[in-house]
Amino acid sequence: MRNSWAVCKREFASYFTTPIGYVVVGIFAAISGLAFSASFLFYAKVSVNPAMYAYSSVPDFEETLLSPFLTFCGTLIVFIGPLVTMRLLAEERNRGTMELLLTQPLRDREIIFGKYLAALGMLVVMMGVVAVHLLIVSWYVQVEGAVLVFGLATVFMMGAAFFSLGLFVSSVTSNQVTAGTLTFGLWFILYILGSFAEDLPEANPAPESWGETFRNGVGFLYDIFRGFLHQLPIDFHAKEMAKGIVQPEDIAYYVLFAAFFLFLTFRSLESRKWRA
Amino acid sequence: MIEVKGLTKYYGQLAAIEDVSFSVDKGEILGFLGPNAAGKTTAMRILTGFSPPSRGTAVVAGYDIKSDPIEVKRRVGYLPESVPLYGEMLVSKFLQYVAEVKGVERGRRKAEVGRVMERCGLSNVSQRVCRNLSKGYRQRVGLAQALIGDPPVLILDEPTVGLDPRQVIEIRQVIKDLGRDHTVLLSTHILPEVTMVCERVLIINRGRIVAQDTVANLAGGTARSLEEIFISAVARDAADDQAAAHVAAASAGGAL
Repeated sequence: MRNSWAVCKREFASYFTTPIGYVVVGIFAAISGLAFSASFLFYAKVSVNPAMYAYSSVPDFEETLLSPFLTFCGTLIVFIGPLVTMRLLAEERNRGTMELLLTQPLRDREIIFGKYLAALGMLVVMMGVVAVHLLIVSWYVQVEGAVLVFGLATVFMMGAAFFSLGLFVSSVTSNQVTAGTLTFGLWFILYILGSFAEDLPEANPAPESWGETFRNGVGFLYDIFRGFLHQLPIDFHAKEMAKGIVQPEDIAYYVLFAAFFLFLTFRSLESRKWRA
Repeated sequence: MIEVKGLTKYYGQLAAIEDVSFSVDKGEILGFLGPNAAGKTTAMRILTGFSPPSRGTAVVAGYDIKSDPIEVKRRVGYLPESVPLYGEMLVSKFLQYVAEVKGVERGRRKAEVGRVMERCGLSNVSQRVCRNLSKGYRQRVGLAQALIGDPPVLILDEPTVGLDPRQVIEIRQVIKDLGRDHTVLLSTHILPEVTMVCERVLIINRGRIVAQDTVANLAGGTARSLEEIFISAVARDAADDQAAAHVAAASAGGAL
């Protein structure tokens, strides 16, 4: 644990001794700030004249402004997340410091955990930017506490899950651009597969002419397949949570997602022991 | 202190080192000689736990590199050939980080970093960024990093490459001093360096040990004769290969 902390400190500090930390946080602050102002102005217009925008009364603040904004921040983190995670292990490989890292008395899990913590540190910094927006809002409006807390938690969990994917990709290549592109590409593929599932018919695709048992079997597998595709987009479980409606399965999804990719990273780093 | 038995490493079909066995005692400096691509770096990387052997094993400072790699790494200071450094870090910050992961206690870290910087002549560049260091200073930072925590075993891959003549003399003296109470395995191309620094020499060629003895026995103590030994040892190996190829060709011809 102490070793993880040492790795984490070095890694996190290097975000801010190189331009990358400032660029990522700066871009995030600029875009989330613009998005926030835009949606705030829109909400102001709607609440002055709800009828014009097909609302019967002034719409709920949390539902129309806050939750969509938080979900947007989550998506934004996913967009610039590859910039945070792509260097984690790929850069060590590329500049040869991997040799130094792996000959220090550090266990693989300490290295991986330390790197992951450093990336989460960047996430916390970005969440800090979001928190500033929310503080400004709570100055003027009475905001539901649950929405605030769970909204932020949602963004954090979504980012944390996504960063674990990025860490894994960074562990399989020695080129940062490859790692970044792959991470972003994987996210996009998951996203597209998810919307593909939306369009799949709900009914059993097996023809009527097939035997009943066989048909039921196909239908059963098809349902699992469709359900699986549905769950792939990383923001699928965030939408409800950002409204303050938390279900254990949503939290479990993100925790398992992160655990799965951390496990893969561990295996990937370990593979040096049996690969030539 | 270092006990190597039957170490073999394959990269695909190619054997980088094959059935290498040797030992280094406490307080001994062993020179590891060999032409380019002989397998020196491969052997050192295995001993430091960076890459695993395909066959065979080694015991370093009382721990097996396969079953107790972490304990081995605690007791080994390693200077890699290319001296990889984190370019954006200050020299002092980098050494402090190494001290932390090497398990130097919090209260002693500053003193320890000060000690190795003093020893390697880095005190005047402690606030410089690693990226801007000259080759000689990079090499010294690499050596300083290996010395942190005062590990009993030092594995140095070409420690004097890229240094100016004065620095070479300084670093050799540092290594010689270290050799009194440390076990040092040192690889080099520079034959005079071996006669000056090492007590024993191990010549490796194409992954196999071709000669192994004290400097005095091998060369009568002069670099000139060590050079002859080196060249003849390496050439003998090549001649063996040629002979083997002849035999193989002859037997292949016989089969036809």
